[in-house]
Amino acid sequence: MAAASDELKRAMPYTTRYPELGTGPIDVAPLIDPDLFELEKEKIFRKTWLLVGREEEIPEPGDYKVRQIDVASTSVIVVRDKTGKINAFHNLCTHRGNKIIQEEGAQTTGRTRSHLMTCRFHAWSFSTDGKLHGVPKEENFNKLDKNCLGLKTIHCEQWQGFIFINLDKTPEKNLVEYLEGMADQFAGYPYHESTVSYRYSTVLNCNWKVAMYAFSEGYHVPTIHAATLPSLAKIEQIDYQCFGPHSTSALYVPPVAGMQPTPATGNLGGRLVTSKQHGPHLDLLPEKINPERRTDFQFEFPVFFPNLVLHLGAGNGYPGMTYFHHQFWPLSVGQTLWEGTNYFRPPKTPSERVAIAHTNALHRNAWLEDTSTMEDTYAALCSGALDEMVLMDEEIMIRNTHRAWHEYMGV
Amino acid sequence: MMALLPEKFVSLNPFVESWALPNELQRSQQRWSASEEDYRRFYDAMMPMLDETLDYLDQYEIGNIPEEAIVLYHLSLAFAEAAPHVELYECANQVPNSFEAVRFEAAHGEQIDS
Repeated sequence: MAAASDELKRAMPYTTRYPELGTGPIDVAPLIDPDLFELEKEKIFRKTWLLVGREEEIPEPGDYKVRQIDVASTSVIVVRDKTGKINAFHNLCTHRGNKIIQEEGAQTTGRTRSHLMTCRFHAWSFSTDGKLHGVPKEENFNKLDKNCLGLKTIHCEQWQGFIFINLDKTPEKNLVEYLEGMADQFAGYPYHESTVSYRYSTVLNCNWKVAMYAFSEGYHVPTIHAATLPSLAKIEQIDYQCFGPHSTSALYVPPVAGMQPTPATGNLGGRLVTSKQHGPHLDLLPEKINPERRTDFQFEFPVFFPNLVLHLGAGNGYPGMTYFHHQFWPLSVGQTLWEGTNYFRPPKTPSERVAIAHTNALHRNAWLEDTSTMEDTYAALCSGALDEMVLMDEEIMIRNTHRAWHEYMGV
Repeated sequence: MMALLPEKFVSLNPFVESWALPNELQRSQQRWSASEEDYRRFYDAMMPMLDETLDYLDQYEIGNIPEEAIVLYHLSLAFAEAAPHVELYECANQVPNSFEAVRFEAAHGEQIDS
């Protein structure tokens, strides 16, 4: 690839740092083509590490979580065994294939009784380490080898309390290798302290990448969030880095002279900002995040291939030492289950709980703004009138995800 | 109506029936149907008393708020969630130019705040 001209480097200082990204338009077909969607199931969602939960969701031995993964036509049980180890299995009885744990939606949590999971069809029971424990009328089978009939295992690893699974029989990389530089860059943030979570979800009538790309850049912030986040009218999105299929950047908001918060925001947000527990803690950011320790730091938002966008705050943007993430689960080429989850440090007093409700409402309202374009975008793209889309420098993370998508897909 | 609010806060009694709801889902349903006037009156009554209200609530422990304070607590949560409509959305009951709020499902929506 020819070296970028000085003019191009000025226009796209970040993108031109990564020559493999190119600077031209990206193709639209991956966002709308049903055949490519079928291929994605095998080439991406059965090959990569997928986030399915947090360790805090299953704190005790015997606790489980079931995660539906429609794109791989499966439902996954993640369960903590007697030794505390977290295991993942297909939610399927090895007798005649019935689901072992009934789900209540895309994510279900619960606790096993006596470390056993029992199929309601014929009462086969399995222990939390996956072994087949009990079979009624076992003597009437033709020499049943219980050792070979344990639950079907799925690769499961944890990083920083995040539980990932990989549906590949033999994953090419372990989780930390797969995360590349991200594993180190984002280690050490006090994720485990933000144990209060608020999760919103909806089925969006759009391709999963349309939704994910909309959450992968800050270029839209001054327009889409003009109502809910007026203080973000002028943002600075910098610190871009790519790590293989993943990428990251940070958002800063230089203070605007004379801009005062509205009364309720000033009061409720102020309560969090001035508390030791919820107030700004730049010191708790991993050292490579906001390296200059700027006080106008809002959040860092890494994009993990294929379907996770994380946001790490430090308490000086949105009030509260919060982090949040978005996940995009394909249901079909034109349907996506979106899940947005806010994590807060637990409130210690009623007033802190009220203040957190306010911050959480602002997050949710901003997400209502984010999701407002996605169905229109997808519907319009399906016209086929646009073959390619042009991207500016601050849309570099979309460019990187798109590049990785082509690499995984081999097309 | 029963005396639902502590004596200092009886001026907020007119808002109890509509707004003092125990979980986020019910409070959201109220937000989506409230009129401009509803928002304005609730906000104007509660904002000047916010500090006093929260100080009062803070004598109790979260998760264990007694009956005499629980209605005020739910009213405060409703205020926190409704305030952006007044301060940012000109008292509209939906976020302007947004996705349909009713399509967002909150995993915690039916969890009672206690």
